[in-house]
Amino acid sequence: MTVTIHLSPLLHHYCGGGPDRRVQGASVREVFAKLELSDPKLYASVCDETGSVRPHVNVFVNVESIRDLQGLDTRLVPGDTITILQAVSGG
Amino acid sequence: MGARVFVCIGTKKGLFVAESGKRRERFELRGPFGPGVSVYSALVDTRGDEPTIYGSSCNPFFGMKVLRSTDLGHAFAETAAPPAFPKDDGRALANIWSLQAGAEARDLWCGVEPAALFHSSDGGDSWELVQGISNHEHARQWQPGNGGLCMHTILVDGDRVHLGISTGGHYLSEDGGATFRAANRGVGAGFVPDPYPEFGQCVHKIARHPAAPGRLYMQNHGGWSEWNGPGGPRPDIGVLRSDDHGKTWRSIAKGLPSDFGFPIVVHPHDPDVVYVMPLEPMTRTCPGSAPAIWRSADGGDSWARLAKGLPKKRAWFTVQRDAMDVDELSTPALYFGTTTGQLWIGRDGGEEWECVFDALPPIHCVKVAIA
Repeated sequence: MTVTIHLSPLLHHYCGGGPDRRVQGASVREVFAKLELSDPKLYASVCDETGSVRPHVNVFVNVESIRDLQGLDTRLVPGDTITILQAVSGG
Repeated sequence: MGARVFVCIGTKKGLFVAESGKRRERFELRGPFGPGVSVYSALVDTRGDEPTIYGSSCNPFFGMKVLRSTDLGHAFAETAAPPAFPKDDGRALANIWSLQAGAEARDLWCGVEPAALFHSSDGGDSWELVQGISNHEHARQWQPGNGGLCMHTILVDGDRVHLGISTGGHYLSEDGGATFRAANRGVGAGFVPDPYPEFGQCVHKIARHPAAPGRLYMQNHGGWSEWNGPGGPRPDIGVLRSDDHGKTWRSIAKGLPSDFGFPIVVHPHDPDVVYVMPLEPMTRTCPGSAPAIWRSADGGDSWARLAKGLPKKRAWFTVQRDAMDVDELSTPALYFGTTTGQLWIGRDGGEEWECVFDALPPIHCVKVAIA
């Protein structure tokens, strides 16, 4: 199934400059595994070497954070949108 | 030697490059590069026909990057890949603390947090974990200091490689980095009952001079002279010297107002001349809130205070471990950057100080080269 990934503007330069990617996968984990192959710099900006989502990155499926769903194992349905944003943190 | 002075300034908000002629009268400032992101390490690599400038970019959101400039710091781009632990390792890169030129033209070493060492053979586009230290039998016992568990010092001396780890201590390789052993005899620790453990010391910085084979200077985590618990007091463990490639160390802290500090720098043309910035251990600011560099001209046997031009009071900044350097001109200048965003230059070997920039972001590192 195909889902849309919508990226923070801070990540556009890692994937050709656009805000959206169309990727296939039945779960967030499957989608990210495809990203790791197709866009390794983008993937490495979202997940660390252990495969975990970076602590200050938020991943949403539609409007829900995957931290409130099943994390990387959150299941997807056709037409879902994965939004990747930096958290509100810093100083 | 080239005709321009380059001062790379790694800050909390990106990397700046200051450029000047040899007289160092006026510095042109460029940056910030990697804006908004902390830069804890920088390197001006002068081995090739044209210098290459590197900086780490420690993005709290999107991870670590290595920035590279091939046009003398006018523009930077990320290298093809940053160092990364193998997937099955279980560790994740938290910071890049040290970038160091290796033996071959495009060899680079990189010390990271959690403490581990990477090597690149292609100028930073790909990296390999150096197993001999990164998976050393002690590695999982090292503990983070206040700044994190960092490998901050890499000194390459032929087949010898010296590493400084906070808190891990000094590790020495004599086979080009294939294997390492803890080499901390005489290096004290104040935060454990055993005053002289085999490893685990909070080494802050190590320096050497190529004209003095075997000699090393160390700024260690001092400030334990009044401890009266198990193991007894540990005076003067903070500033040390080795004359046998780091196998044994002895204190050279007598005469300093404090044995606590972060950076230690050796004069480029005289291995007997060494500089430290003593700090009060609790505040990590200079004694009496009066900043001063202290210089030894006899390898640490005695020390003299250098403060002409520096604030006489009411200055509470810290100078971090990599935030002091010296250029290699015939009459060298020292430079240090402060946590309050000032870059100072100490002309004539630190005799006279002047604030070059007074409103940069908090400064993590200062690296100087003539190119």
